[in-house]
Amino acid sequence: MIHALMKHKMMKSSPFNVPRINRPMQIHRFRLEIEHSVLLMSLTFVAFLTSGQARADEIDFARDIAPIFEQRCSHCHGEFEQESGLRLDRRVGLLRGGDSGSAAVVPGDPSKSYLLDVVKHLDPGMEMPPDDDPLPEEEIELLTRWIREGAMWPGQMDDVVEERTDHWSFQPIARPPVPVLEDSSLEDSPDNPIDVFLLDKLRSEGLNYSPPASPLALNRRLSIVLTGLPPTAEEADAFAFAYNKDPETAYVDRVDYLLASQHFGERWAQHWLDVIRWAETNGSESNMYRKNAWLYRDYVINAFNEDKPYNQFLFEQIAGDTVGQGDATGYLVAGPHVPVATVGQEPSARRQARADRMDEILQTIGASAMGVTIGCARCHNHKFDPISIQDYYSMSAVFQDIEFGSRFPELRPDHPRRVRGKELDAQIAKLRRQLQAIGPWEENWIGYKQFQFTPVLAEKVRITFDRKNVRLDEIEIRGPENPDINLALAELGTTASAAPETSVVRSEVTNVNDGRFGTQAWAARVPDDSPQQPWVQFHFSKPVRFDRIRLSSNREDFLETDYLVDINRFAFNGYHVEIEDENGQWKQVASTEVFSKLDQQHQERAALLSELHRLIDLVNEEGPKPSFVGRFTSPAKTFVMSRGSPESLREEVYPAGISVLDGDLGIEPYASGSQRRAAIAKWLTDTQNPLTARVAVNRVWHHLFGRGIVTTTSDFGTAGAAPSHPELLDWLAAEFMEPTQTDFPAQPWSIKQLIRLMVMSDAFQQSSLERPDVAGVNAALLWRYPPKRVEAEVIRDSILQASGDLNRQTGGPSYRIHNVKKRYAQWEVVQNHGPETWRRMIYQERMRRVDDEMFTAFDFPDCGQVLALRPTSTTPLQALNLMNSEFVMEQSKRIAARARQEVGDDSEKAVRRCFQLLLGRDPTAAEHSASTELADAQDLSLVCRAIINANEFAFLP
Amino acid sequence: MNRSEENRSEYISHHGPRLLDRRNFLGTAGLSTASLALASLLDHDGLLAAEKSNGSLPLRPDIDPGNPYLSRRPHFEAAAKRVLVIYLPGAVSHLDTFDYKPALAKLHGQKPPGLPAVTFEGPTGNIAKPFWQFKPRGESGKMVSDLLPNLADQVDDFCFLHSLSTDTSAHPQGENFINTGFTQEGFPSFGAWVTYALGTENQDLPTFVAINDPRGMARSGKNNFGNGFLPAAFQGTDFSAKNPPNNLRRPASLTANDDRRTVELIQRLNARHLENYPGDADLAGRIASYELAGKMQTSVPEVMDLAGESDATLRAYGVEGGSELRGQYARNCILARRLLEKGVRVVQLFNGSDPAGGNGITNWDSHSDIFETHAMQAEIMDRPTAALIADLKQRGLLKDTLVVWATEFGRMPFLQANGTGRDHNPGAFTCFLAGAGVKPGFSYGESDEFGFKAAVDQATVYDFNATLLHLMGLDHERLTFYHNGLERRLTNVHGHVIKGILTS
Repeated sequence: MIHALMKHKMMKSSPFNVPRINRPMQIHRFRLEIEHSVLLMSLTFVAFLTSGQARADEIDFARDIAPIFEQRCSHCHGEFEQESGLRLDRRVGLLRGGDSGSAAVVPGDPSKSYLLDVVKHLDPGMEMPPDDDPLPEEEIELLTRWIREGAMWPGQMDDVVEERTDHWSFQPIARPPVPVLEDSSLEDSPDNPIDVFLLDKLRSEGLNYSPPASPLALNRRLSIVLTGLPPTAEEADAFAFAYNKDPETAYVDRVDYLLASQHFGERWAQHWLDVIRWAETNGSESNMYRKNAWLYRDYVINAFNEDKPYNQFLFEQIAGDTVGQGDATGYLVAGPHVPVATVGQEPSARRQARADRMDEILQTIGASAMGVTIGCARCHNHKFDPISIQDYYSMSAVFQDIEFGSRFPELRPDHPRRVRGKELDAQIAKLRRQLQAIGPWEENWIGYKQFQFTPVLAEKVRITFDRKNVRLDEIEIRGPENPDINLALAELGTTASAAPETSVVRSEVTNVNDGRFGTQAWAARVPDDSPQQPWVQFHFSKPVRFDRIRLSSNREDFLETDYLVDINRFAFNGYHVEIEDENGQWKQVASTEVFSKLDQQHQERAALLSELHRLIDLVNEEGPKPSFVGRFTSPAKTFVMSRGSPESLREEVYPAGISVLDGDLGIEPYASGSQRRAAIAKWLTDTQNPLTARVAVNRVWHHLFGRGIVTTTSDFGTAGAAPSHPELLDWLAAEFMEPTQTDFPAQPWSIKQLIRLMVMSDAFQQSSLERPDVAGVNAALLWRYPPKRVEAEVIRDSILQASGDLNRQTGGPSYRIHNVKKRYAQWEVVQNHGPETWRRMIYQERMRRVDDEMFTAFDFPDCGQVLALRPTSTTPLQALNLMNSEFVMEQSKRIAARARQEVGDDSEKAVRRCFQLLLGRDPTAAEHSASTELADAQDLSLVCRAIINANEFAFLP
Repeated sequence: MNRSEENRSEYISHHGPRLLDRRNFLGTAGLSTASLALASLLDHDGLLAAEKSNGSLPLRPDIDPGNPYLSRRPHFEAAAKRVLVIYLPGAVSHLDTFDYKPALAKLHGQKPPGLPAVTFEGPTGNIAKPFWQFKPRGESGKMVSDLLPNLADQVDDFCFLHSLSTDTSAHPQGENFINTGFTQEGFPSFGAWVTYALGTENQDLPTFVAINDPRGMARSGKNNFGNGFLPAAFQGTDFSAKNPPNNLRRPASLTANDDRRTVELIQRLNARHLENYPGDADLAGRIASYELAGKMQTSVPEVMDLAGESDATLRAYGVEGGSELRGQYARNCILARRLLEKGVRVVQLFNGSDPAGGNGITNWDSHSDIFETHAMQAEIMDRPTAALIADLKQRGLLKDTLVVWATEFGRMPFLQANGTGRDHNPGAFTCFLAGAGVKPGFSYGESDEFGFKAAVDQATVYDFNATLLHLMGLDHERLTFYHNGLERRLTNVHGHVIKGILTS
């Protein structure tokens, strides 16, 4: 190829002098190389070159157009230089365009030809030629005519653009043969293919594995990587005993025990949540809490615990609403977003914010499932990978029905929440029938108030309030015949009006029946000196029957957020409802005054209402919950955004995956949102997709061995690292999809079976000790198990386990450490160490960019950006937190107290017990005497404090 | 790197029990072996994306995981050794402070010609002249309003940038942008980048200190001084004249002796553990960090203690005699100077909080009654800030300290409809620099005649940050960190150093 390129260079002909040769010729347009000399991507042009002729009245390419290119463009966009990836010496180069992703020329359509925009200086920042005036009018006219007439280029009219990539990760996965180790006898040849691949490479370097790890180190390592918790003192003992009798059985049993543990899912969910930067707050200014977002966190934990096949796991997170697993779509809205209220009023800012939200969705999928940095193609074609700007926006078209917000997740009919919700609904309906007999009443559903009365027929209804100020985001009116229809909606032809003198700027009355919840509300303010009361009136398009009215102050808050000062508060108490009768007279149908009168008159009514509200609370708690797992919206048309700007829309695109990976989803251009998402989920999890399985097995490897076979676990593109063991990676990916090596019934895409295979390898079980003979050898070769520091969660959970305080309850709302805050205030840590926080740290409120005043210092992520790899860094803040925090002080005392309680007051025994509880081992003689001395002279809790701060405690051996 | 058995035993015998003595550790342990572990984290094999894109190699700092704060050389000779960023959340009105626009007085009360009907908060009102009188100041004759009389007196030391513009008209994104280089969440702060690049010059204080406003954190909270995806070691440590860092103090229930003996036991446990992992840089680094933490327990209270400051200093900063908030902010200013004197690399001083942070005025945001809100905020900011810069100058620190006075965007030349405040203006705003490497008494760039858009010598936030890094001796295109597929930079893929303001 290089040869061909040089040969071509030597011809030194002007690119516009069409060589008269009659055979196909391949020209490789550009190539990039990385260190390992892997050819990344090439674009092949197939050119059938023939000669052409011109008439005087027509545009003649050679006479009229070629000189313009030659003079104005070819210096930067010619044969030898292709600024911005654009090449104008071939017709295909024009058709394809440059990095911007826009076709420079669309034959026959000057308005779509980006070339004309840039030479006319219509696109700010992309004026061509740069630092020069626009082209002269006559040249622009020639180019325009040439394009309109079909951009004839003699000899190149049949050239087609063909894109392909040679990058390894985009190639199909083929299961490589397991190598045969040359210098192995049959007996010492390892059973596990993983070891064969690893040893093959290691031995070629003249090295071998380290000896097996000590049982103490092995158990600690295995327990932490599988469950995030070290062995308890008892488990450490039991394992040591069993290992002594039969190491192999002891180990297998331990592996299977840990894989079956409820804590397995908690550990592996943590890794997944890191990658997708899932958190329970929005980020940005108000950084509000995302109500019930934890339902998604629990979905992930359960998925790992149930060993949900990975292809299904991905499918449900993208299109779970289609299979009764709506809680899984929390994945799509895992990233941060800026709520409308803080984006501002400018329409362009709102469009930008929407584009940013779509980008967060694509980043999530790119980083977690595909292992490509798809976001790089948002403004121009990807600089390194075969992802065009069209690919980016076609993928964004798939997710156009997703908006950051809440909905009631779709659950299977037999889901406990649905069953319970139905049960309670029936009870509520029964109570309502009893209440109906007495008269109008009011229900408080927290998010809204609903008052109910005997059905009335009217064309106009008016609600009048008892306070000078009213603010409501929405009023709904419903009838007995079809309670799902909100008769007040403007789109049904209903108009809302209010007294003009009570109007408030930017809080128009049209907000009250626009069907949209949230801060765009109707407000009324009666001047101080006026005797008026604020009212709102609805005029239906025809008389309608209705029996209930719903009012909410900010239902979006109710549905989407929590822990906010004054949330769900109404500015008024009393109101009355009137309808206009046929004579134009207003007559009252219900009022709060009547409610209280009826309360007084009917003793049993109070009891019924209190029972009703008890049931309402139960529904809210135990029935289906609104949850921040995304809400649906009708998909908008999707256009390529030139340079990523929503203000520069170019051609329309339709839902698709990445074209170089056959991204055709086989759906209609305007398929429904769920069809689009289901289709891309199938495309992603197709066994032919070369990325999905590779990325998944590599990530598992990374979490087990401390670094991936590809160290850049979320970037398998050409800017990422090359695999240290490419055959092993492919073998694992193939094995993952079509298992052959399992003792169990083969389960395709099983994460647990994959993990089992890896931890059963000798590689995993070898010692981590340093070896003088191999200093400086690449750790990736796995000549030892690579030791590392443990994460924030492991430190915290280990401490709680040692004291016996760890509450092992799985799932449910996160434990809180922060205050209830004002909308635009920062979260503040109120209490981060009390008994209610003694759960595993995955259940701690996961807040964006909030310092938990304890573990943020330990590289706990801030959840703003995708985090495929947690850094491990060292800061004195870690030391201060672990030495002086109330959490550690308190826990040190509790561990000491537990030890004393279990073994009595003898200091030597108590010290030994503390070592067992915290480190799973007995102290050495020197450690024992030094620690006992400290316990006697000062306090046993100081020994615990010291152990908690010692390196061994924070170390994965 | 091959470490012989002999060296290894020496290493253990000398450093095992005494690793908490960091100087000793650094003296002999060397950096070579130590570099491997974190280096593999920071510097993935063969990731030279930046080289491909623009033909210049990334110059990632060579981090010793055993001591991530070790002083590192800049890319080229730096004008500034350290930097003070005074950050003013809420958007200071350039039109009422440093950017003099006579056209506003002429068109006062009229509909703005050719200006937008809707801005961030809604419909626009009429043009409003500056709320304070402008006068020529200093030898340079720079026009500055009466809002900031003390800073006005020192304009001959300042280098103004009048042609800045930003990408957003929302505060949190604007704060993110100027402090982290991106409008989105999760990117490393300027201070974190500098800390990552240059390490520390002092041995017993954090490298990067964020002094939050007495009323609380600014809107973007920890983003403004966070490490983003850089290792946590490079985050800012936040404390103020009033509040020490979290968990700095020894728990009240413990005596000094308790603490000392705990540390001794930790050392003993670590020494034994290290026998198996003598070359592990992570472990060595962790041991060193405990030693630094111990030093901070003395050095931070010392630097926070203003008792030794003279009455003249306290007076100059305006600790007494003004509002309570001014007094608290003034103490933070004195703390900032003390930190810079001790060689802290980055000090970020906040003058304002999020909108819920205090009673009444909390930052510079002034949608209603700008006359009152800006005046209240200026009363807090002007005198202590002016005194701080004068103090740095008088002590000779301004020579090699860069002072940055910055806000996230400007305010509109017109009022909001039916209002008395100015809305957000991303199109033009003013910041100033002073000290090392920048022209004193100089104004760069211009906004248009209304101060609505940057006009002459336009400069972006990327340019601004590129220039700050340049003054710290860093090439913004080459200071990179590999994250998720990209060589990330403070300036994304943009930015040009604003050469016109540099002294050399």
